[in-house]
Amino acid sequence: MSSSKEIDHHFYPSDSKAIIAKLGKVNLVEILRRMFLIRNFEIRSESAYQQGKIGGFFHSYIGQEAIQTAACQALGPNNWYITSYRCHALALLLGATPNELMAELYGRATGNSKGRGGSMHFFTERLLGGFGIVAGQVPIATGAAFSIKYKGKKDEVAICFLGEGAVAQGVFHESLNLASLWSLPCIYVVENNHWGMGTAVERAIAADRIAEDFAHGYKMKAYTLDGMDFFNCYGGFQHIREEMLKTGRPVLVEAITQRFKGHSISDPGLYRTKEELSAVTKCDPIAKFELTLINNKILTESDARQIDKECREIVIAAMQYAEESPWPDPITLEEDVFAP
Amino acid sequence: MSQQIIDIREAIRQAIDEEMARDDRVFVIGEEVGEYQGAYKVTKGLLQKWGPQRIIDTPISEAGFTGLAVGAAMTGLRPIVEYMSFNFSFVAADQLISHATKMHYMSGNRFSVPVVFRGPNGAAAQVSSQHSHCVEAIYGNLPGWIIVAPSNAYDAKGLLKSAIRNNNPVLFLESELIYGDKMEIPTEEYLVPLGQARVVVPGTDVTLMSHSRMVKVCHQAVVELAKQGIKVELIDLRTIKPLDIATVATSVKKTNYCVLVEEGHQFAGVASEVGFQIAEHCFDYLDAPIRRVCQRETPMPYSMVLEKETMPNVERIIAQIKEVLCR
Repeated sequence: MSSSKEIDHHFYPSDSKAIIAKLGKVNLVEILRRMFLIRNFEIRSESAYQQGKIGGFFHSYIGQEAIQTAACQALGPNNWYITSYRCHALALLLGATPNELMAELYGRATGNSKGRGGSMHFFTERLLGGFGIVAGQVPIATGAAFSIKYKGKKDEVAICFLGEGAVAQGVFHESLNLASLWSLPCIYVVENNHWGMGTAVERAIAADRIAEDFAHGYKMKAYTLDGMDFFNCYGGFQHIREEMLKTGRPVLVEAITQRFKGHSISDPGLYRTKEELSAVTKCDPIAKFELTLINNKILTESDARQIDKECREIVIAAMQYAEESPWPDPITLEEDVFAP
Repeated sequence: MSQQIIDIREAIRQAIDEEMARDDRVFVIGEEVGEYQGAYKVTKGLLQKWGPQRIIDTPISEAGFTGLAVGAAMTGLRPIVEYMSFNFSFVAADQLISHATKMHYMSGNRFSVPVVFRGPNGAAAQVSSQHSHCVEAIYGNLPGWIIVAPSNAYDAKGLLKSAIRNNNPVLFLESELIYGDKMEIPTEEYLVPLGQARVVVPGTDVTLMSHSRMVKVCHQAVVELAKQGIKVELIDLRTIKPLDIATVATSVKKTNYCVLVEEGHQFAGVASEVGFQIAEHCFDYLDAPIRRVCQRETPMPYSMVLEKETMPNVERIIAQIKEVLCR
C-alpha cells in the first residue's frame, strides 16, 4: 500500500535564514558533523552486523537524523530524553562516545550498558533509554516530566520520541491524558516515518494528522514539523521550548519523516516499491542541510566531504576499539540485577 | 519502650507517613488514595497532612501511572504506587515486567527504580474470578523484584519502611481480609529487614511454611495440632524474594518433614519453588516427600461454598500434615 496520501498538515512556519544567522558558522558546521556522525555510525554498524560482529535486533535511524539533531540543539542537554529502540542517534547526540556505543553493539564489557543492553538499550546521564517495547517509554517520559514539576525545576523539560506506530498503543493516550491533567512539561515527538514495521500509517492510525488531530482532545498544543528539514525542526523545537517554559504545558509534535532502511536490519522492505524508496531517499535531510550551508557559503562541498570522512574514520576507529575490547567476564553475569 | 495496639491498615499508614516525613522524595500515587481516603482506607488522612502534591489521585489508568512512577523513580523520586487491587497491576504488566524490573541491569547500572507497588493481593470475600489473584508467583518468576508479603501489623510496618528505603522495585502484597487484624507494636520507629523469614511458632515434628494471610490460617492448624500432641514449627516467609532459604532449611533439617501452604495456585507457585529449593538443600534430611496446600487449579468462584473449596483452609492443612507424618 502506498503511503503517499496527501494530508493537509499545518507545518510550523520556520525561517531558515533567521536560524542560519542565529546559529552561526561554528554551530552549523558542528550540526552537520553530528548528522554525519550518526549516518556513518549507522552505515558502519550495519556493515558490522552483516559481518556477524553484531547480533540481535538493529534499527537504523538513517533518514530521520534531522529531527533528534534539531531537538537536542534547540532544547539543550539539561533535560530528560527518552526514545524507542531506534536509539543510536540520540545517544550520540547526548554525548555517548562512538566507542562505547559500538562496543555495546559488539557486546563488549566496555559497552554503553556493559554489554547487557545491545542496540535497543543505549543510555546516557540524561537519556533514560532506548526502549524495546513500542510505546513503553511514553509513560516513563511522563514520569520524568512529573519529577521536573515535583522538584519545581522551571528550566527543564522531558522529551519523548516515539514512532507513529506507538500512537496506536494505550499508554500513549494514557500519558497524554495524565500530562495534560497535571500540566507536566513533556514534549511528545511522534516521528512519523509512515511505517510501523510493514504496516502503513493509514492502516494503523485512524487520525490523518497525528499531532493536530489527537492533541485537541487532550487540550494540548500540536505542532507539525518537516522531519526532513533541520531548520523547520529546529525552529519548531526552539519555539516549543520557549512556550513550555512559560506555560509548563505538555505539547504533542508530529515530525514527518522517512526511514531509508527497513524497520530493522532483517526487514527486506518488500512493502515498498523500488520507485517509492528511491523517491524517499532523494530528500535526504543531511544532503539538504549540507546544500543549504554550501549555498549560504558556510562551507564548501569539499569541506563537507572532509567532515564526512572524519566521521567515517571516527566510526571505523570505534569498530576497532570494539573489536579489541574485552568480552564481559562471565563472573559478572549475576551482578547488578539489584541496585545497591 | 512504649507500645500501641493497631491493625495492619494503620501499620501501613504509619509506615508511609513516617517515610514521607523522613524523605520528601517519597509520594503516594494511585486510584482513590487522596480525596476518597483510600479504597481500603489505608491512606486515610494523608491527603490532609501532606497535600495533593504528595498524595496523588489518578484516573483509572494503571499502565499510565505505573509507567509514570517508574519514570519518576529513574529521575530521582521514590514513589509508592497503590493498586486498589493487585489484580489491576495486570493492566500495567508491561511497565512492571519489561521496564521496572530490568532497568538497573539493562542500563548498565545507570538507572535504578526505587518504587514500592503496594495494595491488596489475593482473595477477599466472594469477589469472584477477576479480583482474587495472587500475583507473587506470576511476578516472582522475574529477576529484579523484591517481593514482600507480611502477615501481621509489626512486620507490615517494619517491612514497608525498609521497602520504601530500598533502591529497587518492590511488590508489597497486602491482604484485604487481614487489614483489620490488631497487634501490639512499638510506638518508636523500627525497621524489619527485607529477606528474612521468621519462626512464628517453634516446633520439632514438622515444618509448616507460608506467607501473608495464610500464616494466620496455618497458625490455627498449629494450635489444633498441638492439642493432639503434634509440635509444628511454623515459618512466615515474610519476604518471598529474595527467599530466606537458610531459615527454611534450618527448620526442615531439624524436623525432617515439611508442608507448604500458599493462597495462590499450585502450578509453578511459590510453594513449588520453595519446595524445590528444600529438595536441593535438604534432600538427605527429609523423611517423607514435601507436601503442599495451595489454591486449586480453578479461577476463583463466587459462591461461598465453592470459594471455600478452592482455597487452602485449616482442615486441608491439618490433613496434609497428618498425611506427611503418617498419623
